[in-house]
Amino acid sequence: MANLNIDSIKDRTFDAIVIGSGISGGWAAKELTEKGLKTLVLERGRDVRHIKDYPTANMYPFEFEHRGELPLSVRKENPIVNRCYAFDETTQHFFVKDHEHPYIQEKEFDWIRGYQVGGRSLLWARQTQRWSNYDFEGPARDGFAVDWPIRYEDIAPWYSHVERFAGIAGNRDGLAELPDGEFLPAFPLNAVEEYFGKQLREKFKGRHMISARCAHLSNPQPIHLEQGRAQCLSRTLCSRGCPLGGYYSSNSSTLPWAEKTGNMTLRPFSVVHSILYDENKGRATGVRVIDSNTKEDIEFYAKIIFVNAGSLNSNLILLNSTSSRFPNGLGNDNGLLGKYIAFHNYSASISAEYEGFKELTTDGRRPTGGYVPRFRNVFRQETHFLRGYAAGFSAYRSMETDQSGFGTVLKDKLLNPRLGPWRVGSHMMGETIPKESNHVRLDSEQKDPWGIPLLRISVSYDENDRKLKKDYHEQFQEMFHAAGFTNIRPHDQPRAPGLDIHEMGGVRMGKDPKTSLLNKWNQLHTCKNVFVTDGACMTSTATQNPSLTYMALTARAANYAVEEFGKKNL
Amino acid sequence: MKRRSAIRHLAVIAGGIALLPSCIGSGESASIQLSQITISPEQEKLLAEIAGTLIPETGTPGAKELGVHLFVLKMLDDCYEKGDQEQFLQGLDRLEKIARERYGKGFIGCSTAEREQLLTAMENNEGLPEEIATFYRIMKHRTVQGYLNSEYVMTRERVYEMAPGRYNGYYPVKENIAS
Repeated sequence: MANLNIDSIKDRTFDAIVIGSGISGGWAAKELTEKGLKTLVLERGRDVRHIKDYPTANMYPFEFEHRGELPLSVRKENPIVNRCYAFDETTQHFFVKDHEHPYIQEKEFDWIRGYQVGGRSLLWARQTQRWSNYDFEGPARDGFAVDWPIRYEDIAPWYSHVERFAGIAGNRDGLAELPDGEFLPAFPLNAVEEYFGKQLREKFKGRHMISARCAHLSNPQPIHLEQGRAQCLSRTLCSRGCPLGGYYSSNSSTLPWAEKTGNMTLRPFSVVHSILYDENKGRATGVRVIDSNTKEDIEFYAKIIFVNAGSLNSNLILLNSTSSRFPNGLGNDNGLLGKYIAFHNYSASISAEYEGFKELTTDGRRPTGGYVPRFRNVFRQETHFLRGYAAGFSAYRSMETDQSGFGTVLKDKLLNPRLGPWRVGSHMMGETIPKESNHVRLDSEQKDPWGIPLLRISVSYDENDRKLKKDYHEQFQEMFHAAGFTNIRPHDQPRAPGLDIHEMGGVRMGKDPKTSLLNKWNQLHTCKNVFVTDGACMTSTATQNPSLTYMALTARAANYAVEEFGKKNL
Repeated sequence: MKRRSAIRHLAVIAGGIALLPSCIGSGESASIQLSQITISPEQEKLLAEIAGTLIPETGTPGAKELGVHLFVLKMLDDCYEKGDQEQFLQGLDRLEKIARERYGKGFIGCSTAEREQLLTAMENNEGLPEEIATFYRIMKHRTVQGYLNSEYVMTRERVYEMAPGRYNGYYPVKENIAS
């Protein structure tokens, strides 16, 4: 049993520990190792090596036994993850199955997880819009949550830092509400999308339709080639893992970069039970890990701990890190840990057709679409609801086949499809207001297979969310009418919170230790060598897809941690 | 090497489903491994003929030649509720009975015109028993899907591009595909 390497405290001691290897953990690993810190990266799931462990990446549709569809038994055994749009025969190996990690839904909540090296960075939708000050100032202006302790100016250089490395395609659109960044060439919009953008400019002041900025290498630069990544070829099979490294994932980018420094130790199959706190030193000293293969309990030690387990799991770890100093969870003097959870409201969409541009269609594919930045309540409060929504917008023309009949007639129709009309579609991405009642906490009795308490999740929509949805439908119907679209159909898409996969908060940042958990550097106010930089740190949600902001906050906090480490303050 | 590539070719023709040597020649079960349903070699042959009538050989392979009926069976076995599976098999038997009643022979023995009459009745859902409607709904949907997603069609007819590497949002419509 005795393993001298593992058993020696020295060999289990690092400068820094990063809990989680997903989109933010990957960034913590890169920044810390690059600056010379010996860093242990803990991942609860298995290792996934770039390219080698993407088993379906190069498979043609006809090579899948069920052509991408999941067998009924898999769908029945996994009602939760089966609701995720990206879960199918081609990607299922990157998703946590429902039975693998149970949780308690006090209210219906779809918790979609990817337990492997790289986490959900393999599966994300790769949309990367910056926040503006209209987002950071939101809670203070509108009187909800608490004021963010940072402003756009604090994070802007770090947005640039991560954008240059990750590779973000986009146009410099010059919009105050959606600041420009360090962009590679944007993916093009099509005729109907640009037409709609023009209609908005002419008829709806302050509303815009732009090429959605995304983490794809439209034109790789030396820094990307150095990572071993290549140009995105618009395969649009991203969730299988990209053999080209055409989009940003921890696996293709930050983790191999951290590995090259020689300073990273990556330990898969390591479920973090809790963070160790030393009452005498007044700081965290390490983490307690359960090896998911051997069930062995192991402690690792470091001066700096980054918590990047994924929003709700970061909450869980802190809640489970109890000591006589922190009986209610690490850093939880004010009792707010696990509270003010928020998410994005994706519960509506709208579709239509357009009869113009019959002479045009599209050719090829692209990994992104159009984006309508938030236009409600941006510069001042102007509606009866708080905040607003951004929206995806895309137009497309498909080959369509009349499948009636049989025999040579049917065969001829199948082999000679006709171009259908231009169709347009949009979906809402609404900001939700963090509330104390939307919370997670530990169950007092039930435990998971590693002996860790199950998480109870209690999160729901509210009246503001319903008003937002109604307004989205009204405004987009009006804009679609004004653009001359036909067959306009608003769709109600009821879905539980969580399915947006943008769960945020619970360990929010703020200025005041009485009303927040983290300071402006993402340090726990009362345990300064613990940094939380994944979605758990979010004070409010804005409307933008959040990963880019997690990445920038992580890089910023990691560089601060390195400075403090150098000054022997940590 | 030649034999191996021939086997692979056969597997590909079968719509990506590997044929299992253990079943060949047993004479009692289908040529692919199924876990929920049981299919006799006669039923399998019958399904191949129906698939071939739905999408016939016309100088290019049809659904039967591409082994699409085996894909239909695979999907029926793995992706449907028990009730649908039972109705499918009952519907298949019922169809065979109707063929015998009307034409004095099974579907396989029917002439092309007779087969087409039977399919027309199913296509138009002309007062046939419910199980036949279920059978036809699944059979047709999966035959069309399996055909369109076969290697043959995806590499030679409606070519699937793995990595287009381009997007043109103003591509002129070619006349022969205009609606």
